[in-house]
Amino acid sequence: MSENGSTLKVSNVTKRFDEFTAVNNLSLKVRPGRIFGLIGPNGAGKTTTIRMIVNITAPDEGTIELFGQQITPELQDRIGYLPEERGLYKKMKVIDQLRFFGELKNVKGKKADEAIDRWLARVKLSEWKNKKAMELSKGMQQKVQFIAAVMHDPDLMILDEPSSGLDPVNQELLKEIVLELKAEGKTIIFSTHQMELAERICDDICMINRSNKVLDGTLREIKRSFGRNAVALRIEGDGERVLSDPTLVTKIERRSDEVEALLSEGADAQELLRRLVAAGARVTKFELVEPSLSDIFIEKVGETE
Amino acid sequence: MTKFLAIVKREYLTRVRTKMFIVVTVLGPVMILVFTIVPTLMLSIKTGGATRLAIVDESGRLYQRVHDSLLNDRDEDEDIVASDKATDAPNANAPDQTRRAPAAMKATFDVKPEVQIAGRSLVAVRSDLDAQVLKGQLDGYLIIPKNVLESSEVEYRGRNTGDVITSSQIGNRVNRAIRDQRMAENKIDPALMSKINQPVKMTTNKVTETGGEKDTGGGFAFVFIVGFMIYITIIMYGQVVLAAVVEEKETRIAEMLFSSVRSFPLMIGKLIGVSLVAVTQFAIWGLVFAAFMLWGVDALSASGMSISLPHISASFFIYFLLFFLLGYFIYATIYALVGSMVTTTQEGGQVAMPILLLLIMGFYLGFTVIRSPGSPLAFWVSMIPFFSPITMIVRIVTQTPPLWQIALSLAIGYATVVLLIWLAARIYRIGMLMYGKRATIPEVLRWIRQA
Repeated sequence: MSENGSTLKVSNVTKRFDEFTAVNNLSLKVRPGRIFGLIGPNGAGKTTTIRMIVNITAPDEGTIELFGQQITPELQDRIGYLPEERGLYKKMKVIDQLRFFGELKNVKGKKADEAIDRWLARVKLSEWKNKKAMELSKGMQQKVQFIAAVMHDPDLMILDEPSSGLDPVNQELLKEIVLELKAEGKTIIFSTHQMELAERICDDICMINRSNKVLDGTLREIKRSFGRNAVALRIEGDGERVLSDPTLVTKIERRSDEVEALLSEGADAQELLRRLVAAGARVTKFELVEPSLSDIFIEKVGETE
Repeated sequence: MTKFLAIVKREYLTRVRTKMFIVVTVLGPVMILVFTIVPTLMLSIKTGGATRLAIVDESGRLYQRVHDSLLNDRDEDEDIVASDKATDAPNANAPDQTRRAPAAMKATFDVKPEVQIAGRSLVAVRSDLDAQVLKGQLDGYLIIPKNVLESSEVEYRGRNTGDVITSSQIGNRVNRAIRDQRMAENKIDPALMSKINQPVKMTTNKVTETGGEKDTGGGFAFVFIVGFMIYITIIMYGQVVLAAVVEEKETRIAEMLFSSVRSFPLMIGKLIGVSLVAVTQFAIWGLVFAAFMLWGVDALSASGMSISLPHISASFFIYFLLFFLLGYFIYATIYALVGSMVTTTQEGGQVAMPILLLLIMGFYLGFTVIRSPGSPLAFWVSMIPFFSPITMIVRIVTQTPPLWQIALSLAIGYATVVLLIWLAARIYRIGMLMYGKRATIPEVLRWIRQA
């Protein structure tokens, strides 16, 4: 599966719609067995990129290689795609829809029925098997669509905003399943504008904004390179004077019961702690904070504008 | 191939299993019969019983004859006159009704005793009778002037002169009475005259390759039903295709489908799946019809009802299927195309309006063709692919054209289908992935060039 080291290789891909460039000179590599987060705000070009990967549309320039080959209709069967815009045939029974989508991926008969039963049980929808789609709630329909994307046991799964519209319980269930799939060795491309979610499950990240890639790499590297000197702290007593010293702290952000302090250039967190204790403040929380993906994103996007 | 068959199967099974399919299959023939028979019945039903007539006879000699003639409806030549009239009636919607009309539409009359003029002026008599008509005591009255035998003019005044059937029968019967009076006055024996006037009984025989066969008028109704069935089913299944395409676009299933299968097999699979539904429906109807021909007709004849069905050859069924499928694929492809361009079914209905008009035009051209199936016009309209599914089948039923014409018409038609599908497939994929707004014609033209 790991032909020349990557499941998917997108090289210098550009896609234009009339005057508008939806994706501009994008290159990325998705390694096998990893969860790859394609993140960016709405309208950044995520869905257009995914449509080219699953061979719905063709790029104007550049190449896309899947499993080490040029994309073909046959290779589509090895992809499971859950589009952002989702729908089911309203008047068809759940089981019939799933059988149909299975056949479209060349899975049929007993093999398909087994997969359907197993997955319906996994997402707790077994008793809805013979109901029509229109009788299901939105969240249930989404789970059926998820099964349609995964039932043919694809090597690469592409999930476009998979958790939008799901309640917290089902979001958790989805996260569990995605991690299980990863453990089975599947490669997953996860597209979302919810940075918090991406932060929790992705191994690698590619950030897109306004049709352009702004950043990519493993989550850990990215965070390390953006390591800022920020401290989250909770103090009682007299510490305000220390915090207002500009040689130590440049910016203070107050939350409900704590404070986030951004340290000045060259200042040391250890020094701040000592000064606070010396000033007679009682420190109940003192934690060096990593930047969140959304902080990084805002900083990165701020740069390009 | 599995994928293509999966699409065909889904389109077919989800539709054949619906209640709607069963309802249409059962009610379809009933509706067609209703459309054919009801207008005839409606015209022939005359409520309110006999027409009450009074007669003012200024000549003083004609009352009895007119009276007898009005009450006597067994006259041979009347039917001929009446049916000539009826055939001219501009009612193209139900041509067969004109053939049955005369028998069904005999008016009955209730003739009052002769109106006594008794020295009153004609004006006074009229106003008296007008008053009676207005009060509803009379439906109308006739004024026979003194010199009627020379002038041949009679006046009818009635409440409902719009009832052309009744007034034309009054005219015919009065005419007969006056003619008899003239004969009597010229000493011509009425018995001799009626012998001379004996109408010719003409039987209509259709000349076909298998030899002459009797056409009892049922053939005409049959042509109408065949044309109507093709027309209605093309519209019906065209709409089905439109709705199916719009559903996939509206619910965004299209995106899911395109990630598994190319747009071309997807569209063709859809068209073929729906066409099989139509063919299934025709097969059911055909079998029921055949069963009826085999056993039903005998059973009805035994119970005293005689029905004459036109002779239908096996080749007709093949032609019917070929031309129906031709029409279906032409129009359904356009409907699929329209479906991929619009955002809702309602919008689709509006955009598809011009196409529907084309189909309706074909339907009406069918009537022109019935009257002169061998004319150059009939030839040309049965070569134009948008009309030929109806016009050519009408020609085949009325006066089978040479085989080369049928073959040419089919060849042109199916070539058009291939062209349309090629065109539609280029637009389909792009249209299906475009959400939010309706595609404009310039956009669509650009897609065709780019795809």
